[in-house]
Amino acid sequence: MKTIDVDRSLCDNHGQCAIAAPAVFRMNSDGVLEYEETFDDALLDEVEEAVDVCPVQAIFLKD
Amino acid sequence: MSTPAIELPAVPYLDISDPSFAMQSEALRTAREQSWYARTNFGLAVLRYDEVSKLLKSPKLCQGSAKWPAHNGVHGGLFYDWWTKNLLVLEGEDHHRIRRLLNPAFSPRLIKDLVPRFQDLANELIDAFIDQGGCEFIRDFAEPYATRVLTILLGIPESEWPKIARLASTVGLALGVTFKQDLDKVEAAVAELYEYAEELIKDRQANPGVDFVSRLVLASRDGDRLSDEELRNALVLLIFGGMDTTRNQLGLAMQSFIRNPEQWELLARRPDLGGKAVEEVMRTNPTVTWVTREAVEDFEYQGLSIEKGTTVHLFTQSSGTDPRAFPNPELDLLGEHAPHYGFGGGVHHCLGHFVARADMSEALPLLARRLANPHLTGGDEWLPDSGNTGPTRLPIGFTKRA
Repeated sequence: MKTIDVDRSLCDNHGQCAIAAPAVFRMNSDGVLEYEETFDDALLDEVEEAVDVCPVQAIFLKD
Repeated sequence: MSTPAIELPAVPYLDISDPSFAMQSEALRTAREQSWYARTNFGLAVLRYDEVSKLLKSPKLCQGSAKWPAHNGVHGGLFYDWWTKNLLVLEGEDHHRIRRLLNPAFSPRLIKDLVPRFQDLANELIDAFIDQGGCEFIRDFAEPYATRVLTILLGIPESEWPKIARLASTVGLALGVTFKQDLDKVEAAVAELYEYAEELIKDRQANPGVDFVSRLVLASRDGDRLSDEELRNALVLLIFGGMDTTRNQLGLAMQSFIRNPEQWELLARRPDLGGKAVEEVMRTNPTVTWVTREAVEDFEYQGLSIEKGTTVHLFTQSSGTDPRAFPNPELDLLGEHAPHYGFGGGVHHCLGHFVARADMSEALPLLARRLANPHLTGGDEWLPDSGNTGPTRLPIGFTKRA
């Protein structure tokens, strides 16, 4: 099972991941990213899309 | 007896529609030292990095260009219909749905495959003028490069680039102050682009391949797909948003490196710094001089009451050189700097930025490797600093490197 790791030193809270995979990533009311480190296998496609789409490429999938 | 009045820091005022208004000026630097924001003749201007970064992504603000046609007295027609339905101005779930369907085609992994084509194109254009010791950089490089990259992406014959360039520039007139006078020309160009896009879509629907447009045509998510109209609108947005911006940014890059010859030499020796060169040029000399937002509700920010409907301009160059965030704000390819906002940010972050970053980060080191000592030779012409700026004509001289 893969897990998600966001490099907080790179993350700039644009929120593109929350558009790509809203079941896993969301922006809180302060506009700061919150996310689940683990996710259902059925969501793999959208999580990979979130990784791809991040403008600062701060999201990593680990085995 | 009188109480001494508390001296409130004065809020600076900037006339941003004055044709001589300059982003990189003492007046703007002074204003930035005085206050994090300024009042302007069109709403507020945010000048400092921290505030621009926060407000750019704030849910209290939406993209601020939706009403642009209406502000110019345009309430219907082809441009109006396209503008009000394109990704740039859509909000909420309407925006997110289209963005999800478009995003996969713009994946950085897929764009990487185009890099050899970008390199060949840059070299071909340089070959044509390298022996002359000079060129008109916009006409001979920036414009054909930016437009032919689009034709490569769209999978259309590169020989059609002058037509695409002309149509994109004509639609671009819609963003200028003379929009209403240019309306007939803009409408005709949108009609022609529509026809072009519709043919392209029909062709890929009949003969899908693995190219960019085929990926858009085949894109689906949870059983949802882009309609023919949404596909057409997206292709027109790509042409509209991808050409002028890249052309202008390449022209500004040349200006930046002419001012910083030692950085040009460094780039010539270290082509691996191409990506860094793009970031640094966009941080210190961006074509998109501000990103427009509009308050969706009344709110307070750092003691300032911002009323619903207020236009807020987030200044890119001013924030990218703010000494609070960048103690050494000068162009420096070896410096470690915070991210710039030349591609906007938040949910409306530029969709095509991986393409723009990839094509410019190939072009700049190739130019540096082949052209030594670039310098202005006079006769350069410039767009105003308000809106999307850059040179429209940039004659340069150089020495051909052996």
